[in-house]
Parts: sequence; structure tokens; C-alpha cells
Amino acid sequence: MVRSISLPLRLATIVFVVLTAVFLLAPLVVVIGVSVSESQFIAFPPKDFSLRWYEAVIGSDAFVDAAWISLRVAVLVTLTSTLIGGAAAIAIHRRALPFSGALATVFLSPLVLPTIIYAIGMLMLWSAIFGPVSIVTLWISHTVITLPYVVRTTLAVLSESNPFLEEAAQTMGANRFQRLWLVVVPQCRPGLIAGAFFAFNISFDEAVLALFLRKPGLTTLPVQIYGQLEFSPDPSVAAVSTIMIALTVTLILIIDRLLGVQKFASS
Amino acid sequence: MSDRAENTLLLLPGLLLLALAFFVPIAQMLVLSVSGETGFTLEHFARFLGDPYYLNVLWRTVRLSVLITLICVAIGFPLAYIMARVGPRLRLWLIVLVILPLMTSVVVRTFGWMVLLSRSGLVPDILRDLGLAGRNFSIMQTEAAIVIGMVQVLLPFMTLSILGVVTRIDPRLEEAARTMGCSFLKSLRTVVLPLAVPGIIAGSLLVFTLSASSFVTPNLLGGARIQVLAASIYRSVTQTLDWPFAAAQAVILFVGVLLILVPYARLAGGRSNG
Repeated sequence: MVRSISLPLRLATIVFVVLTAVFLLAPLVVVIGVSVSESQFIAFPPKDFSLRWYEAVIGSDAFVDAAWISLRVAVLVTLTSTLIGGAAAIAIHRRALPFSGALATVFLSPLVLPTIIYAIGMLMLWSAIFGPVSIVTLWISHTVITLPYVVRTTLAVLSESNPFLEEAAQTMGANRFQRLWLVVVPQCRPGLIAGAFFAFNISFDEAVLALFLRKPGLTTLPVQIYGQLEFSPDPSVAAVSTIMIALTVTLILIIDRLLGVQKFASS
Repeated sequence: MSDRAENTLLLLPGLLLLALAFFVPIAQMLVLSVSGETGFTLEHFARFLGDPYYLNVLWRTVRLSVLITLICVAIGFPLAYIMARVGPRLRLWLIVLVILPLMTSVVVRTFGWMVLLSRSGLVPDILRDLGLAGRNFSIMQTEAAIVIGMVQVLLPFMTLSILGVVTRIDPRLEEAARTMGCSFLKSLRTVVLPLAVPGIIAGSLLVFTLSASSFVTPNLLGGARIQVLAASIYRSVTQTLDWPFAAAQAVILFVGVLLILVPYARLAGGRSNG
């Protein structure tokens, strides 16, 4: 279709795509550029190349502690969200319970509600009942907001699966547990994997809940970066940010290997 | 164990989690927004709606969110169309182009814009070199900075929403229009655009909601002077510690979003049914 258009239009298309690409990637490129500069101050383009800010980050307790907390929360969230969300998606897909249609809506509702509204509610409720927030608060609230992604990707995969396989397994004498574990779960696998990656990525990068549910000693990486940007930005923030970008690129590469990025984008 | 018991067992952990950790906190927040020292009160709402400062914050939030949504449609529709119609190799690269920023933390991307837009940053430098701006020109701490940053943050959501719909449009429809004498741009306007409307509406709902409720990017790029509603909520929670007032503002934000979403979603539903 693009080939059949006139030359000026084709040129305009190319210019448009290049400009959009520059616009979308510019902040990432700039952050990477700042991180390898020798300068004391945030400067782009960098004049001299140096890895000193990466050394500074690795030697910084604040960043290392924050990274450790982010990683622990993200791993816990990925495991629980995938398990709980995957199980719910299987039950919703079977449409055997009353209100099946409404159930899907309930599970997707955290997606619709702005995170900031949920963050306030969670902070107020938690403080009223349990007192100070903790890593458990982050674990639970991140699991809530990542659940819809797992449910959605798993439902999408299940909707294309063969509905008679479970019945066939039953006819062949498989018990309830065998049917679930050997027939249904393997069919869900691509959806569960995609959901798990969503869950990890969202939890690791999440700033809104983490900002509301922070307290001294409970700072995730995005909150640590946010705090530095507000008060004392220096190139070490760029080094941490670059490490986070590298992690994202790695995740995308793994997703492409396992599922194909195109499929991921459409779910 | 019956089928029903098995499915209930699968569903129960998720339902319990959502009930206790999602619906109860929201209910708690609703209650707090109308609770005063002596029981039920609407004073927090009255305080917000009676103060020109907060009305201005509300108006700025709506204005910026609409503008950001419109710009995202203007860039997102052509981008999604091009993505849908290029060859598979190029499409893969374009998808990576959209997904890479999407999956990168908002804080990191906002940092990039802070560097680019700051007084000594690349963008004001270029504008000065081109003679388009004066020597003391700065974009940081302006509404323009918020719009630029937010469009970059939200454009991937819009593009992917429209892409999902455009890829399902049969290219033969366009060929038919071309055969009948339509120019390329006319076939785009009269064939593709109307068919892409559900995607544009879905993307707009998403972008508008996310835009109205975000505070990280507006706080860092707009500064304390240019407050949006979500930033004001954050300040009430963390600085003035006025939680009931924060809850009331959150309810106003949510009602405002719903007031715009519901008619818009109706429109989309009506169109896709009809």
C-alpha cells in the first residue's frame, strides 16, 4: 500500500517516522549519554567518556538498597500475580460459575481506576488497620495492579485454545488435578509468561504507589530516582536510569525470544 | 470435589485479594472524603470547589489532558497506520520503537526530558541557535514542558490502541477506494479513519485518564508553581497531611474522569454496534 503512493508523500512518511522515533527515544538516549560523562554536572552531549558514575552507584548504599527492595518486591509480585491471576483466568474462561461475565470486569477493574486514587485508599486503609507501611504493603498493592495484565493475557491465550482437550483428557481417565496441571496450564503458558513479564516490569518501574507507600528504609528504585531529581540531581541518577533501561531492553529481548514482540504488543 | 468447587477454589485467592486490597481501600477513601470531626460533611468538597486556586488547578488539569490526548491522536493515528502497512521487518522495529519507551519507567523518561528541556539543555539551545528563542528562554517549569513530556509518556498507549484496530482493517477496502478514483489521502480519510474510530476512542480514553491522574511528570517538569490535580493530591497526602482533603480531591478527579469517559464510551459502543 505504501509503495503505491506518490514520492512526496513517501518522503513525508519517512520524515514523520524519523521525527517520531527521535521524539520517543530522545529521553532515553540523553539519559544514557549523561551517565557516561566525566563531568560533575548533568551535561548532554557528554564531553569526556567515563564510567565513574557507575562506580559511584555501585558504591552507594542508597541506590543498592533501593535496587534490592525493588527487585524483591518485583519477584514476589511476579510470582503471586501470575499464580493468582492465572488461576482466576482459567476459572473465568470456563464460564461455569454464576456472574462469569461480571467476574472478568471485576478482575480488570484495577486497570481502569487511576493508580493515584488506589494509592491513597491503600495508604489510608493500611495506616488505619496495620500501622506503618512495609514491604508487604508494596507487595500486595503491586499484585493488585498487575493482576489484570496476567488475567487478560491468559484469557486471550485460552480463548484461542481447543475447548475439547480437557474433555478428551477426562474421557481418557485423567483426574481433576491432572486435567488442570497437564492439559489446561500448558495451554495457558504463553499467556502466563507474557503476564509474568508485564507484572515484573510494572512492579519494578512503578512509582505512584511506591511514592505514596514510602517511608524511611522503604525506598524503591523509581522513588529513589524521583527524590534525587527533585532535590539534587547528579549524573549518578543517569547511571541508575541507564541500568534500568538496560534491564528493559533485556526483558524485551527475552520476550521476543519466547513469544515474539509483535504478539506481546497486541495483548 | 465438584466442578463448581474447583472453579471457586481457583477464583477465590484473586477475588479475596481484590475485595480486601482493592475495593475496601477505595470504599475507605470514599468514606474519608465525606467525614469530618463530627460525622458526615461535605466541607472538603466545598473547600475545593469554592477556592479559585483549586478551580484553576482543576481547569489546568482538564485543559492539559485534552491537549495531550489530541496531540497523541494526531501522531498516534498516522504512526499506527504506517506500522500496520509496512513490511514485517520494519514493523518489528517500529513496535520495538513504541514498546521500549512504554516499558521504561516514567521517572527515567521524565529525567531525560529534564535534561533536554533545562535552560542549558539541547532543545532551548537549538531553538536559540535557530533564532526562535531569546537568550533567557526556558521551557522547564512551563505547561509546554508538561505537554511534551506527557505526550512522549502516553503516545505508546494511543499508538498500540489504534494499531490493534487498524491491523484488522482489510487493505482491499483501500484498494477498492483507490480503484474508484480516491487519492491516497482521501482513502485514508474516508475509509481508514472512520473504521479506526473505535481504536482512537479507546486510546483517547486511556490517554485522557492516565494524563489527568499523573503527577510524577507534571511535578518534575512543571515544578511547584504549575500544579495539576494529581500533584495537588500528592501534596495534600505527603506535605500538608490533610488526608480527608486529599480523598475529596481524588473523588473529584475520579468523578471528573467518569463524566468524560461515560458519554465517550457510549459513543464508542454505539458506533461499534451500529
